[in-house]
Amino acid sequence: MLFNTIEYVLFLPIVVIIYFLLPHKFRWILLLAASYFFYMSWKVEYVFLIAISTLVGYLSGVLMEKYPDKKSKLLLLIFNLFANLGILFFFKYFNFVAENINLLFDKLEFGRNIPLMNVLLPVGISFYTFQTLSYSIDVYFGRQKAEKHLGYFALYVSFFPQLVAGPIERFSRLTPQLKAKHDFTYDNLSNGLRLILYGLFIKMVIADNLAGIVDNIYATPGNYSSLDILTGMVFYSFQIYSDFYGYSVIAIGSAKIMGVNLMNNFKTPYLAKNIAEFWQRWHISLSTWFRDYLYYPLGGNRVKKSRWAINILIVFVVSGIWHGANWTFLIWGALFGILYILEKIINSTFRLEKEHKPYSLWHILLSIKTFGLVTLIWVFFRSQSFGEAINIFSLLFSGTGQITEALIIPGYVWFWLIVFIITDILLYNKRFDSWLANMPLIGRWIIYGIFIFSIIVHAGVENFPFIYFQF
Amino acid sequence: MCKKILFKIFLLSIVIVIINFIYSKWFYESDIQKHSDIINLVRDIPNDADIIYIGESSNITFRGDDIDKRPISAFIGDFFPKLNTYDITKPASHAGIYKVLLENIPTDNQVKTIVVTLNLRSFNAEWIYSNLETPLQKSLVLIKQYPPLFNRFLLSFKGYDIKSESEREQQCRKKMKSDKFKLPFDFQFQNVIEWDNWMANSGIKDSSGNIDYEQTKLACAYIKTYGFQIDTTNNPRIKDFNEIIKLAQKRGWNLLFNLLAENTEKAKELVGDDLIFMINENAKILEQYFQNRGVKVVSSLNSVENEQFIDQDWTTEHYAEKGRKTVAKNVSEALKTWHNEFYVEADYSITYHTDFFNDCDDKNVVWGQMHTITTELAYSGKKSSLTGAGNDFSITLEYPLKVIPDSLKQNIAIELMLNQASLNHNTMLVMEAYGTDFNPYWVGFDLKSDINEVNKWVKYNKNIIIPDTIKQADLIKIYIYNPSQEKIFIDDFRITVEK
Repeated sequence: MLFNTIEYVLFLPIVVIIYFLLPHKFRWILLLAASYFFYMSWKVEYVFLIAISTLVGYLSGVLMEKYPDKKSKLLLLIFNLFANLGILFFFKYFNFVAENINLLFDKLEFGRNIPLMNVLLPVGISFYTFQTLSYSIDVYFGRQKAEKHLGYFALYVSFFPQLVAGPIERFSRLTPQLKAKHDFTYDNLSNGLRLILYGLFIKMVIADNLAGIVDNIYATPGNYSSLDILTGMVFYSFQIYSDFYGYSVIAIGSAKIMGVNLMNNFKTPYLAKNIAEFWQRWHISLSTWFRDYLYYPLGGNRVKKSRWAINILIVFVVSGIWHGANWTFLIWGALFGILYILEKIINSTFRLEKEHKPYSLWHILLSIKTFGLVTLIWVFFRSQSFGEAINIFSLLFSGTGQITEALIIPGYVWFWLIVFIITDILLYNKRFDSWLANMPLIGRWIIYGIFIFSIIVHAGVENFPFIYFQF
Repeated sequence: MCKKILFKIFLLSIVIVIINFIYSKWFYESDIQKHSDIINLVRDIPNDADIIYIGESSNITFRGDDIDKRPISAFIGDFFPKLNTYDITKPASHAGIYKVLLENIPTDNQVKTIVVTLNLRSFNAEWIYSNLETPLQKSLVLIKQYPPLFNRFLLSFKGYDIKSESEREQQCRKKMKSDKFKLPFDFQFQNVIEWDNWMANSGIKDSSGNIDYEQTKLACAYIKTYGFQIDTTNNPRIKDFNEIIKLAQKRGWNLLFNLLAENTEKAKELVGDDLIFMINENAKILEQYFQNRGVKVVSSLNSVENEQFIDQDWTTEHYAEKGRKTVAKNVSEALKTWHNEFYVEADYSITYHTDFFNDCDDKNVVWGQMHTITTELAYSGKKSSLTGAGNDFSITLEYPLKVIPDSLKQNIAIELMLNQASLNHNTMLVMEAYGTDFNPYWVGFDLKSDINEVNKWVKYNKNIIIPDTIKQADLIKIYIYNPSQEKIFIDDFRITVEK
């Protein structure tokens, strides 16, 4: 069930109405049932995986508290990591590893091949696995008390608004909110609906309209000029941003109506002045997860410069692999890591690390620089193979500067893209719901009207699932 | 708080009404042309229609060597020259699609009789769960009988039967597995999957005892296509046809269901009597079911011989000329129930033509590559043939040259109108010929050297002397070939075979 379908348009109000009609003590049952129903709408069988992940997380947490000696806790944590990462590895990485080993075997003329599995990647598996892992690690280190209520724990793992593509929430933030009694409030309803409206606009009007254009260019790049390729690259930057940002905003809005505040996953990342800041503004829940559960345990920046650089590279490469089982993701992550390190070195060497006023000329120039670098790196993220990415780059620098006739971009796509860019700039360090709340009624309703119009009349009509569902 | 919410709902209603007005006035029509141009099939029908024939590709598919390539509906028109017979033809469609199209026939249209294609295959699981279903359903959303903005909302929010290919395949397999055969005799297979597997494993043997994989594959296709029993309670097609019956009653139309011919000869040869039994039983069920609901049903099920089926390597209802004429004759006989006074015997004594003209507007002129016809630009009428940008071939004359007496075919005169946006292409006029007594023949003439004007309609002429070697060709093809990305429009294409 995608957020931008009629099913969700019906599903959410039904869940919300029943939620507020039910006595507080039964609400978790409703939310859990709704979340499992939501997840099963993709494939019923997937529910067993999330149930296994939940049970492993729950039991290891309870047992870690029951057997608090270091050895037992460590064993339980290893079991937990083995089970959760094992499932993730099997579904997401097995074929990739097997294919590469087979390639090696072929080169060495080993004469044997590892058979490949015919399995589909369950949606959202990386997200809920990381959510479960963060809880277990926190319990292991004593930062979090084990949850005794299996129902609430299962709800923490599967809460439907953020189940399949985040934000990846921490137990200490989400579960108290799920347990708290929330009254129906007008503010929560209006703020939630505002966020959903904005999320639908950026997903359906921006991402889905750009998706077809980008797909065409990447499918047959040889048919296009350099300027087309450049347009496609820039469009992809906006497509992936609006696609994922749109999902996150709808998720936050959906939860908000029920009184649950999910963390912000994006803060106008394309206005970042450097790569480090970009990652503080892009997919924040994942960046902070890696910071807390990988970067800090590796020593963070309290180590020698060379070790710090290695830590950064490890974090970005792992982050790349988290996105998908392909060398392109690994390269994508590594490039971000290298740029991160280089920028840090250059900035500290030339003492360039200083604050720039928002919207100042320097801010704009640095943001354009960051956007340009990120756009180049996205090519690896979008390409199916390393060769495809290299082909895109070679066409970018070898073709003509004229837009070819085959690249037809309707005028309304440009118009709404500009509207989105302007809105995004205005939202720098703000959230759409609170930004709108400060407007006079008439201004708000004009904006509602414009967005409703765009969503219904100019939404892309092809079915493009959210990009991050595949991770 | 309730007051506040009610006030906001009121404001929202006003916004929706305003948006609906704006959308209906300035955006709806262009959206229809973009996403639901299927409606043009209905809009093209004049209000003075007497008979409307609605069907899928069986109506319009022809074989290259057909002398008369017109559709079944046109042949029916030959039997009722004083009546206006029109067709609505949408390839791969079925009763669910027909229903929506028929709903869109304006109430002021005078049509008296509707002939609806009843395709036996469309009741099987493969068709019900076909991959083509998603685009077909999508093409209907904007023309549903709701306010325009609501239709667009349904399109934007995927409010139609949208499923991925793998989902459809799963559904199909599940259906094939769960539908158990109930036959009045012992049958070794419980369902079509078992039957299909048996055929795939045992295979059809050739004369030397080896498995003939092509024939085996075809036999499996026949089993999967016809190895089912129609459940009139749950089959979605039955529901769709029932909706059509209700609509016809409401609009006062005579309704004729035209049960199409299937290649039973081939089915018997490849699979045997069990399959023929199922085909006949299904046809009988449909005939009885709809006749009991007051609909006239004409069956051509076993009327077309194997040789007349164009696709010899798959299961379709695509007939060559004689087959189409047979179906048309059967339908016309049935139409006598309501239009007896207008019925005449069609005259099919003409055995060849020497003058061929296609202005891209007349639906009864059938050439190859008719899908290239566009309303984007036209020299005469409203349509022309678009080549380039994916359409390598223009509308194509396909004709068995051998049927024209030798004394009348020395030369081929070609005349057409052409419009090109640039000279950045290598477009050619091409003539191909195929026959049993000579190697395939191909000749091409560069167009650019003769026409160098752009963005205007220019006349192009060419005379081709017919080489003696190809005079007995089973098939000649004449067309414009444009493999470039540059758009070139062709209109008023005339080809005359001269002495």
